[in-house]
Amino acid sequence: MPPDASPGPPAFEEVDHTADRAIVARGASLQELFENAARGMNAILGFRPDPGAAPEARRIALEAVDAEGLLVSWLSELAFLAETESLGFERFGFERFSPTALAATAFGRKAAAMEKLIKAVTYHDLAIRREGGIYTARIVFDV
Amino acid sequence: MEIRQIAPFLYEIPRGARPGMRVPARFYADEALAAAARADRSLEQLINTATLPGVVGHVLAMPDMHQGYGFPIGGVVATEPPEGVVSPGGVGYDINCGVRLLTGRVTAREILPHLDALASALYAACPSGVGRGGEVRLSAAELDRAMVEGARWAVRRGFGTAEDLEHTEEGGCLEGADPGAVSDRARARGRDQMGTLGAGNHFIEIDRVERIEDEAVARRFGLFADQVVVQIHCGSRGLGHQVCTDSVNRLQKAARDWGYRLPDRELVCAPLESPEGRAYLAAMKAAANYAFANRQVLAHRIRGSFERVLAPEGLPRELFPLYDIAHNIAKMERHEIEGRARTLCVHRKGATRAFGPGYPEIPRAFREVGQPVLVPGSMGTSSWVLVGTAEAMRQTFGSSCHGAGRRLSRHQAKRAVQGAGLRRELEEGGIRVRAGSLAGLAEEAPSAYKDVDRVVDIVHGAGIARRVARLVPLAVIKG
Repeated sequence: MPPDASPGPPAFEEVDHTADRAIVARGASLQELFENAARGMNAILGFRPDPGAAPEARRIALEAVDAEGLLVSWLSELAFLAETESLGFERFGFERFSPTALAATAFGRKAAAMEKLIKAVTYHDLAIRREGGIYTARIVFDV
Repeated sequence: MEIRQIAPFLYEIPRGARPGMRVPARFYADEALAAAARADRSLEQLINTATLPGVVGHVLAMPDMHQGYGFPIGGVVATEPPEGVVSPGGVGYDINCGVRLLTGRVTAREILPHLDALASALYAACPSGVGRGGEVRLSAAELDRAMVEGARWAVRRGFGTAEDLEHTEEGGCLEGADPGAVSDRARARGRDQMGTLGAGNHFIEIDRVERIEDEAVARRFGLFADQVVVQIHCGSRGLGHQVCTDSVNRLQKAARDWGYRLPDRELVCAPLESPEGRAYLAAMKAAANYAFANRQVLAHRIRGSFERVLAPEGLPRELFPLYDIAHNIAKMERHEIEGRARTLCVHRKGATRAFGPGYPEIPRAFREVGQPVLVPGSMGTSSWVLVGTAEAMRQTFGSSCHGAGRRLSRHQAKRAVQGAGLRRELEEGGIRVRAGSLAGLAEEAPSAYKDVDRVVDIVHGAGIARRVARLVPLAVIKG
């Protein structure tokens, strides 16, 4: 389920949450869910890459107690890089991926603009579900 | 769900309403706000907090409550050692988000011709919005000192006066902060954000005292009609956000190891006296002190702007501290339960301390009347100065509301409101707006919030704080 796949449910979409911002992300695999969640977070950030900026890459290695924890850590890492280095990532190369550990290289650019910073990626109501072969997660961001 | 009204403006959900509740849940509302609370998940979240180990008395939600994650916004939860826990979710990601109010000697009538210049000066002097760091770049050692000393560090650096510290909750410094408990990630986020406002719902506002409701207390607080006052609403910025993120992640495993069965993973917690609980408290205090220092530096910048714009006009430019209060914090406090004074950890998430008369924690100048309670409203509406009461000590662990409380999600607000149109509307109403992002402005539209006057009517009616003065905005500065 790449971001431009159609028809069918979108790879990610923003949904309502009273205090904060939330997305639902989907993927044909857990790894694809992680990639689409990262792209969904870019939409919340209002990330627009600077076309003149040189490509950047960052290596990310994480472990967690379960897949939900790994997803929070993954997005938190990308949100940290957005806040401290003004970087957004759109492509990911996974060298290792399991529900509790990953190693990846994230490829992206400096932002020409970012509308928002993410204070935190929350565990609120976070559960990764698999229905009809599609992995789905609703992620609430404190903004 | 069984909900019964037990007093005017006070509702209770009994302990047996759901298995696992250790204490009853109470919330303050009128009929309309009670209906609104039933419509989102704030009551369910409040009930969840009543299941936390070591919770005592009753869990509470203020009338500005709305759905958060883990704890509801507007929640007050007290736990008692040794089995009592501290929960990072009970403080929230923006540790020591709070409000400082500065009072002028200048009147709104005097300031009006210079309001545009003043708003622009504040916008230039107080970095706000996404990606704007501050001018106060901290070395690693200085960041440590700011985390240990809080606003005292800022005053020592020349950003304010000793009077500012006396008029700040906890003197602007929580004892027991340990920078060693703060991660490198949190430090990296905090290093260049000292003295910045950030984005979201944070703001600086120049207000006019529209009316005084309690002359005697207002006089004690130094408030008078048509006076110019300034509100600063912000917190610990990325440093505090990261401290919470780190703690929530770390406690995911620890909570399992202790066998806690929690209805929401944002409720993870640790016994107050465990190594994990102590580590969180030490890091939270460091972040809270960073926030006190941040508001202190911003206050200094605001004073500089008043000096630059008003002094050449021969107008009074002094700004005195009324008070600085936290509304996202957990603190050890003494409270009486069933006739016995006990030491409790009071979590306030979107709630303010509202101690009544006589408490040594209150600045000497206000000790006879009670502490100032600052309640910012939504942008372009009104805000309130209230005073804490003895009744709050009996009912709410000395707590009251913190604001208007959201009604619409940020996403809904953006769909319903155009930033440019809102800015025009506010300016047609005579309010100067300086905002970095029109989309951000739309998310904070007044229509996205409850009516703050109504929220204040409820806390006043319930007796957990009393009205002192109503403020209306003259200029809003936002990220």
